[in-house]
Amino acid sequence: MYPAKIDDYSRPATIAEAVAALASFGVGEAMCIAGGMSLMQAIKSRLVRPACLVDLQDVAELRGIRGSGGALSIGAMTRYVEIAGHAPFASGPFAALRDAASHVGDRQVRNRGTIGGSLCWNYMAACLPAAVLALGATLRLVGPGGERTIAIDDFLIGPLETARGEQEVLVSIDWKSAPARSGSAYKKWGLVKDALPVVGVAALVTLEANGACSAARLALAGLTAGAQRVPAGEAALLGSKGDAASLDRALEAVCANVDLHSDHWADAAYRGQLVRQLGRDVLTSAFARAKN
Amino acid sequence: MATNTKDDTKAWMGARLERKEDLRLITGQGRYLGDVVLPGMLYAVFVRSEYAHAKIVSIDASEALALPGVVAVYKGEDLMGKVKSMRQPVLLPNLPAKFPEYWALAVGTAKFHGEPVAVVVARDKYVAVDAAELVAVEYEELPVVIDPEAALADGSTLVHPDSGTNEIFGMTFTGGATEEEQKKNEAEVEAIFAGADVVVKHRFRVHRTGVTPMEPRGCLCDWSDADGLTAWITTQRPHIDRLGLADILEIPAQQVRVIAPRDQGGGFGVKAPFFRENVVVAFAARELGRPVRWVESRYESLMNVGQERDQINVCEVAASKDGKLLALRNRGIADNGTGQTGVYWGFVMPFLGAVEMPNGYTWGKGDIKLRVATTNKACLTPSRAFGHFPTRFAVERSIDMVAHRLGMEPSDLRRKNIVPQLPYTSVTGEYYDSGNFLKVWDNLMTHIDLPAFRREQAAARAQGRYLGIGFACGVELSGVASELLVPMENQPGYGAASVRLDPRGKVHVYGGDAPGGQGHETTVAQVVAATFGIAPTDTVVTTGDTGTTPFGAGTIGARAGSYFVSAVHKACQELKKKITRILAHDLALEAEEEDFEFANGQVTLIRDRSQTKTFREIVERIIMAPVNLPEGEVGGLDATAFFEALKPMICFNADFCVVEVNADSGEFKILRWVSSEDVGNVINPMIVDGQMHGAIVQGLSNAMFEQFIYDERGQQLTADFERYKLATAADVPDLQITYASTPCPHTPLGTRGIGEGRPSSVSGALSNAVCDALAPFGIEITELPLRPDAVWRQIQAAKAAR
Amino acid sequence: MKTINVTINGTRYEETVPVRMLLVDFIRERLALTGTHVGCTYEGVCGACTIHLDGEAVKSCMLLAVQADGHEITTVEGLAKGGELSALQRAFRQHHGLQCGFCTPGILMNMTEFLVHNPTPTDDEIRQGLIGNLCRCTGYVHIVTSVRAAADELARTGGA
Repeated sequence: MYPAKIDDYSRPATIAEAVAALASFGVGEAMCIAGGMSLMQAIKSRLVRPACLVDLQDVAELRGIRGSGGALSIGAMTRYVEIAGHAPFASGPFAALRDAASHVGDRQVRNRGTIGGSLCWNYMAACLPAAVLALGATLRLVGPGGERTIAIDDFLIGPLETARGEQEVLVSIDWKSAPARSGSAYKKWGLVKDALPVVGVAALVTLEANGACSAARLALAGLTAGAQRVPAGEAALLGSKGDAASLDRALEAVCANVDLHSDHWADAAYRGQLVRQLGRDVLTSAFARAKN
Repeated sequence: MATNTKDDTKAWMGARLERKEDLRLITGQGRYLGDVVLPGMLYAVFVRSEYAHAKIVSIDASEALALPGVVAVYKGEDLMGKVKSMRQPVLLPNLPAKFPEYWALAVGTAKFHGEPVAVVVARDKYVAVDAAELVAVEYEELPVVIDPEAALADGSTLVHPDSGTNEIFGMTFTGGATEEEQKKNEAEVEAIFAGADVVVKHRFRVHRTGVTPMEPRGCLCDWSDADGLTAWITTQRPHIDRLGLADILEIPAQQVRVIAPRDQGGGFGVKAPFFRENVVVAFAARELGRPVRWVESRYESLMNVGQERDQINVCEVAASKDGKLLALRNRGIADNGTGQTGVYWGFVMPFLGAVEMPNGYTWGKGDIKLRVATTNKACLTPSRAFGHFPTRFAVERSIDMVAHRLGMEPSDLRRKNIVPQLPYTSVTGEYYDSGNFLKVWDNLMTHIDLPAFRREQAAARAQGRYLGIGFACGVELSGVASELLVPMENQPGYGAASVRLDPRGKVHVYGGDAPGGQGHETTVAQVVAATFGIAPTDTVVTTGDTGTTPFGAGTIGARAGSYFVSAVHKACQELKKKITRILAHDLALEAEEEDFEFANGQVTLIRDRSQTKTFREIVERIIMAPVNLPEGEVGGLDATAFFEALKPMICFNADFCVVEVNADSGEFKILRWVSSEDVGNVINPMIVDGQMHGAIVQGLSNAMFEQFIYDERGQQLTADFERYKLATAADVPDLQITYASTPCPHTPLGTRGIGEGRPSSVSGALSNAVCDALAPFGIEITELPLRPDAVWRQIQAAKAAR
Repeated sequence: MKTINVTINGTRYEETVPVRMLLVDFIRERLALTGTHVGCTYEGVCGACTIHLDGEAVKSCMLLAVQADGHEITTVEGLAKGGELSALQRAFRQHHGLQCGFCTPGILMNMTEFLVHNPTPTDDEIRQGLIGNLCRCTGYVHIVTSVRAAADELARTGGA
């Protein structure tokens, strides 16, 4: 209910200072705090007991959505409220980000929570990891050894686990270019509105001129593996024109290739039903957005 | 504020007056328990059992005590010899039950996950939590009993070995007092069932859920060797807390004062029992000679309190082919948890749930039995719709099933069987004093064109859309009469109020109950204003302080609109009589009370309006200048009155809702919710509306979202709001509340107590609507919670069976 | 321990606090502004502790006091200006938007900011906006009515 003792707190103003601050503490001692919407739950329940917090709120370079010539870079400290309100995300290839960000938690959470924080925490039922995974971003990290980039697929290892080094700072989530004729969507289901999802489905589809799907990325949230792509489902979408029968076939392939677990919110069969139902909505929407 | 200065003071009864409570609450000036601070105050944090059932081998507090800032750590043994056990007569119902002996902190054995086994007291609350982590408790796990039916089986692990059984309570509610009469009744009921045209029988399971006030529990205890104990407690019944603390801590009663803070963040029954934590905090304050405060965390709250419902009811209904309900038979089993909670011990709720099971229907006969089983779970705590949320679900669902079998409209079948004339005594002996149930029902039905709905439903089905309508009704207690409260909780039912006038013509009302948001300050001020012809702003209400208020059994069972307000009115009438006696004397008139009018701050002789004095003048004269009084009269204007109706009283409601079910996903949406209410005469309609809204949404939230879950080892898995889901604003519909009231003839103002039992009819109406929508699949819901996954599974099963 | 500078309801405070002190405890216990409430343990779901941090609604139980260093905070005590209740406060009173009042400060803070961004909300939008605030007493009906009434009032008067 109250955090365990925290010895130190620093608030760097630049990425370099942030990296230096992290490096000045021993291994396993310091943690970055972004919006803190997940981390503070863990700190207050004493699931984690950092000796030091490096607060990234003053690092201006980490904030903001920048796009030019189809490329897109979202600063790690960009908040849900900013993504949810970003007009260019209303349709097209990045719309899944807006779908996801606009229903994370509640207004107060969206005023604080950040995309980078969500990716680095990588909670199994979180929305943004699945959405970003479906969109195939490249992540830029800076650490004591300098800068590196990593594909989101490689970054997300499993629930509460990422490839971020303990002394690295996630800087931005990047796309070199926006694929043409592409659309994405995300939708989730929870017992109460906007709660952490029992299942979330994200998809990106790229269409040929004739409307047939030439590439697809499909990711799920809420299953035991955490944010995960489903290649069998992606493959089954190729050639689809977004008709119900082909989408249902692809979603059957999804259900057959993931571990649908049972818990108190939903049994495995109902999780499968949710994947099908959300998947239909998400894919239909992604196809429509790709055509716009 | 405009409404507060209007001249027509007679109209205060029934006025939509803005609440007196609100100005402080919307500006952050409320004073809740957690806002009360005393100099030198220490913070208590409990160490709670990690196991559902375990022997406490040892408790080592040395590391905790070594932490700077830690003042003390107490364990169960430290209390023994200094305080008595929790099983004290004042806290025992007058019902035959096997009340378990237990101590404020567990001694020897921990019996549920979350039971307090030690307490840490420290100068800083963060340090207290640090220290609680350092208290090393060695446990030896014992076998657990989690399932109530298994608990009642021979050879089960016993929660309380001294009891020799897990059946803490069992009772037959029908037929008579003797076993012989009951057996005869059983045979008669069996004969009805044997000859009935239609019989439905199902096992209804309602989960463990309840209410969760937004402010959890807490207490602040201050000890003085000279004056004894002053305890601020989040409580609905400070006077009982006072007696319990005095008896358990062996403090002379006059040296115990309990204060329920004026502002409490909801109660709903959760703050009505006598709790062990408060004993521990009082003990620590006395030991240390320092004020000690405990503010419960949400985690502790969800671990320990607000858990109710949790019953299995095997319910049978016999009916004739023309839709007459002939008999109701029920075999109930309730999961009591450990039973370690004063006043209720868990089983009092299912007890009342069985009493109230017949609801507003004229069953020819009933055969109703209940068995209550202790298990290694937190003890049931009262929750709005006390005990009868599950039995109402069983009855309201069964009635629809009878209607389905007969091909009748469920609403027609209900109307045919609703108690047509009051007073009426139900098959369990519950007395329904007054009202007009059919008027309420017929008013409800004016809000739906059922034939048109059926056409719309058929057209929608043709398009693959599933609409449904569901009905239910509820007879609820309007206050709890002594006739019921003395056996049930060992407490009086009367309402009590002191009304004190001051020389400025202002009024101070003192009540021993302890509200938590119901608006007592406003409604009482309206009653006083209407009686004395003054403004509501002239009245101040103090509740919940045993040092200043007359004895009250508490803010429970819709007592405010029935008993408390009536006591206030009675006390005002006494004072009014005295005022008019002295005024007549002063004016040298032959006049009685009814010859005077109290209005607009004046007391006026009706037959000669020139004969008038301001209310303030005459009040000041009687208090401050008690000379030249009538023979035998003395000065002063202060009256305490007690009100008890001759018989128990009730209120009544009926609901319908319209839902649309997605047959692919099992999701459902409530499109309309309409209620019809008999609330008697209304003091403040806005407050009454608010009570109905809150109650119905609590019922919906219980039915659809909330569920306490224990695993097979008795670990409680739902102790935070991420896992124990409450309905948000986006999850529930707007509500249409309508009224068809009949004044209560047994209260002086015709008012009824309302709001307590109100959630009980909700789950029936909702699940009946879902079943109606899914009639093409022949689905009958018998379990709560009612969630999309459960509906979907039933649809799948129905499809598979085709 | 860290020394922080925060402005709360227009008053500047310089205070030394332990790093682990929650902002809500700083507000309630250090500054005795007890209108901000705590209704959950660590989950940050109930919303009773909602305040404005630089004008935005956030949950003060999910922040450390040190994170507020250099920022401006408004609590429910700061909503009424010069003794004048805000339109939203007035509406809650007029429409019985509260019962026990424990969740109310958080709701007022959240909805005050909500109406800045969405001055003409539909009932559904109000309900969506309220997801971060649990209320147990009102069934939300009168809360929605109050927020809508405040929006209408603000539209009519063109401001606070």
